[in-house]
Amino acid sequence: MNGGSAALRTLSPAAAAAPPDRTLLLLLPAMAMLVLMFFVPMVLFFVRTFIEFQGGRAEFIALARDLLFSQPYLTALATTNWIALTVTLAVLLVGYPIAYYLTTATGPSGSIVVLAIVLPYFTSIIVRTFSWMVLLGEHGLVNDTLRAIGVISEPLPLMYNRLGVLIGMSYVLLPYMVLTLYAAMRSIDPLLLRAAEGLGASGFYTFRRVYFPLSLHGVLSGALIVYILSIGYFITPALMGGQHDIMIAMLIDRELEVAVDWPAAALMSLSLLAVTLALYAIYYRVTDVRRLIGAR
Amino acid sequence: MTRTRLTRRNLLIAGSAVLATPYLSSRPARAAGQVVIRNPGGAWSDTQKKYIYEPFTTETGIEVVIVPTTLTKMLAMVKSGNNELDIADAGYDGLVELDKAKALAPIDYAGWKYTNPDDIPEEYKTANTAGMALYATVLGYNKDTFANNSQPKGWAEFWDAKKFPGARTLQDMAAGTPNLEFALIADGVPMDKVYPIDIDRAFKSMSRIKPYIKKFWDTGALSAQMLADRDIVLGSIWNGRLQAIADKGAPVAIDWTQHMLSIQAYGIFNGAKNLKNAQLYVDYAMQAKAQVGMPRELNYGPTNIKAFDMLTAAQKANLPGSPENMKRCFIQDVNWWGNNRAKVNATWSKWILT
Amino acid sequence: MVEVDSDLAARGAPAAVGELALPAPVAAVRGAIELRGLTKRYGDETVVDAIALSIAPGEFFSLLGPSGSGKTTTLMMVAGFVRPDGGAILLDGEDIAAVPPQKRGFGMVFQNYAIFPHLSVFENVAFPLRARRWANGAVAERVSWALELVRLGRFGDRHAHQLSGGQQQRVALARAIVFHPAVVLMDEPLGALDKNLRFEMQVEIKEIQQRLGMTVLYVTHDQEEAMSMSDRIAILNRGRIDQVGPPGEVYERPANPFVGRFLGEANLIEGTIAPQFDDGTRLVLPSGHELRAPSGSRCSGGAQGMLFIRPERIEITPGANAVGGPRDNALAGRIRRCAFLGNILRYAVDVDGTAPVTVDLQSAVGVAPLPAGAPVVLRWPVADSLILPAEP
Repeated sequence: MNGGSAALRTLSPAAAAAPPDRTLLLLLPAMAMLVLMFFVPMVLFFVRTFIEFQGGRAEFIALARDLLFSQPYLTALATTNWIALTVTLAVLLVGYPIAYYLTTATGPSGSIVVLAIVLPYFTSIIVRTFSWMVLLGEHGLVNDTLRAIGVISEPLPLMYNRLGVLIGMSYVLLPYMVLTLYAAMRSIDPLLLRAAEGLGASGFYTFRRVYFPLSLHGVLSGALIVYILSIGYFITPALMGGQHDIMIAMLIDRELEVAVDWPAAALMSLSLLAVTLALYAIYYRVTDVRRLIGAR
Repeated sequence: MTRTRLTRRNLLIAGSAVLATPYLSSRPARAAGQVVIRNPGGAWSDTQKKYIYEPFTTETGIEVVIVPTTLTKMLAMVKSGNNELDIADAGYDGLVELDKAKALAPIDYAGWKYTNPDDIPEEYKTANTAGMALYATVLGYNKDTFANNSQPKGWAEFWDAKKFPGARTLQDMAAGTPNLEFALIADGVPMDKVYPIDIDRAFKSMSRIKPYIKKFWDTGALSAQMLADRDIVLGSIWNGRLQAIADKGAPVAIDWTQHMLSIQAYGIFNGAKNLKNAQLYVDYAMQAKAQVGMPRELNYGPTNIKAFDMLTAAQKANLPGSPENMKRCFIQDVNWWGNNRAKVNATWSKWILT
Repeated sequence: MVEVDSDLAARGAPAAVGELALPAPVAAVRGAIELRGLTKRYGDETVVDAIALSIAPGEFFSLLGPSGSGKTTTLMMVAGFVRPDGGAILLDGEDIAAVPPQKRGFGMVFQNYAIFPHLSVFENVAFPLRARRWANGAVAERVSWALELVRLGRFGDRHAHQLSGGQQQRVALARAIVFHPAVVLMDEPLGALDKNLRFEMQVEIKEIQQRLGMTVLYVTHDQEEAMSMSDRIAILNRGRIDQVGPPGEVYERPANPFVGRFLGEANLIEGTIAPQFDDGTRLVLPSGHELRAPSGSRCSGGAQGMLFIRPERIEITPGANAVGGPRDNALAGRIRRCAFLGNILRYAVDVDGTAPVTVDLQSAVGVAPLPAGAPVVLRWPVADSLILPAEP
């Protein structure tokens, strides 16, 4: 506070006399909601869990060490990040062309694509996941079709393994990537592409040297959103994964719902939160750097 | 059958998206007051409404308020002293957790006027819980794969993947209780000597069948889906889930040999705001005419023996707890599970990765 | 701060362009552009209507017109971004209809500079060379040449947002010429600059164009800009070319009233055209007064016409005796008002039987303007007059 008032005194008279920025008040409802519905319950959960923990500090540290360095936890951590990374890349590869198409589409075709991407969100994630099971099962539509046209003789293992998790999660998370990329791509001045072309660049060169770099902050934002959402997933991997596809959120769920071990669940949740915040910090630095080099 | 172990997922599956929005079963009848009950939602809730809540309100004027929530939430509510529930309609295993947290009040069996307590066998009653429906974890199989009664009969044969080839499923830890009992029976332990479970022996037996398990199921819907989609041909499954897809035409059937019986029960909360109404409700709900809805609509067995008189022979044949089926089942020991679940969970976490 | 400093630095080195050694001015042999019946329609609307033009190698040629006249569309068709609905574009005699934009080999400067925001100044200028797969060494050499040419030699490491508008324009210019294109297309390149900077850039662009001997096709709506830079100007109006010619010709001898008005202040005095005489054409005002113009007008006797005269050609003297002669037209009137525009005084003079006539006089220190209501005589040479057909 002292530092703040000292800084104020050094301002020019004109700046000091300026009225405070009231537009910040517009954020008040959002802030209040975030604090009341997210921050306070979460802090209460952690605080109460640790207050109720039976045993001293030494026992708590021992529990934390046993839990966070246990083989199941570390394996789940590795699995979680591997799946999140793969899903992020897959969604990026699929989403980038779709987002690009949306920026160029005129008339109803664009709306139809947007609708096709967003429409599944009007049903619950459970329903959507079960629909995948109908498609990807051993006797599902995909395998039956491939067998009928003679491409394969044995059914492809598309479900109840890592591939199933990746397909299911990529599908669910695709819209986040597409819509984020779309927003970034819309802000790219088409004149720049025309300039590149007019100056002798081929379509591919224009993409590599101009369009992609300018869409990069959208790629980063989209990747971060998808990654952060991915590491918290548990319904899709629980339904579509195999025996080994255990993600952190599934462990937390089990500690909470099955073992009713709140300290363990709280510790795992905190570790997941820490990973998420660390990723966000990296993202923040990256976008900051981006602004420094003057990209729009 | 819906399901009894209460997790967030199951509620979602049951379609109860709104976790804490009370449902009023009838118009407010202020004079007689109300009773607030937790149930698992979905088809279970609908059937209860039709056969119990609505007749109860008509007869007593007491309105029934439904709050679908999870065991974890109930525990949290009890711990924080913010419990607004009077009655929990939940799996017996979940009620044992609540009872351990000293959340449940004694059932006033002596004061019952609708139901004769003697019509409820002792194994379904405790001081603080009254079992009101039965469900079974059975051996389900594909009738096309195992035609002409060629299916494995009992868990030793289920474990024999050479003689009975095909992908299988068993219950996941995430569903609350993995099928350690079946693993022991497969390893030669008699049905009535399963408890207390020898955890090491059970997991060793589980390891033998693990390569043939396509996926462990953690929700009743998943086990049914895999069986209906022919992704598996054999599996442990709740009888109601299997019956539901069989009724829709899936070529699946139950082998009742060595099935496990579980109990759905009522518990009344300590310090319930409507304690008198709650006691009256449980009394009302335990009578045969109230219990008969679950067998008819969802293939749950009744706990009131009088209820069997109201069912046809064909209905009885497919019901857990029927005289015929009682001869080939064992009752799940939820107290053992309550005391050992955390330990089994830790063992499972390591075992599943091997 | 960066902007002010660097602009001052740039202004402090006026001789830089002339000192550059390469390449020496040569008579351009490449870069001839011909448009034949070039047409573009959007729906029912014909935005470019059968335009025909022939631009010589090394010529600075401007397309001038108001917005919506089709000048930018014409340029975009030449660049290859817009597909013509009819006609042909020939580069050095060859039809380039099927050639995609990136293969046409034109340098291009865009309206809002279109500087790549994620690239440094150096990389922006290097872009056309790298797109053509030049080796690094050659790129570095050529980029520094181009940056020196536009006096941005020290700015290679900067990013676009660190540059002023004028500097960004120079980057765009360097980028357009760095690969020595025979033809550079410019689309309102100075539109976003303030007036002083614009004039300065006009001079620079013109000097660079002459030094490099390149053909420039330049689109602008600013007639002063077009006249100060161009060898020839085409004035476009509603998708058609109204007139093509050197700046002096289109300014002094407009083909129609539109061109006359568009290129600057113009008096267009309406009347009836009298029969042709040996000594010129005459226009009879509604008041009966006669004005003369040299013969050669395309108007026939009896038709409605307009006498065109630029305000700065008219002399103004106090008095009421307006008698013309064989070399002078004269009109009597009264001062309506006078506006001080800095270098000139602009009078509006009421004349019987016609709209007020505008007269521009050089302003001079200590000379009081004529008061409103003062009777004056307007006088101008017959040779500077032109009779145009009345507007439909």
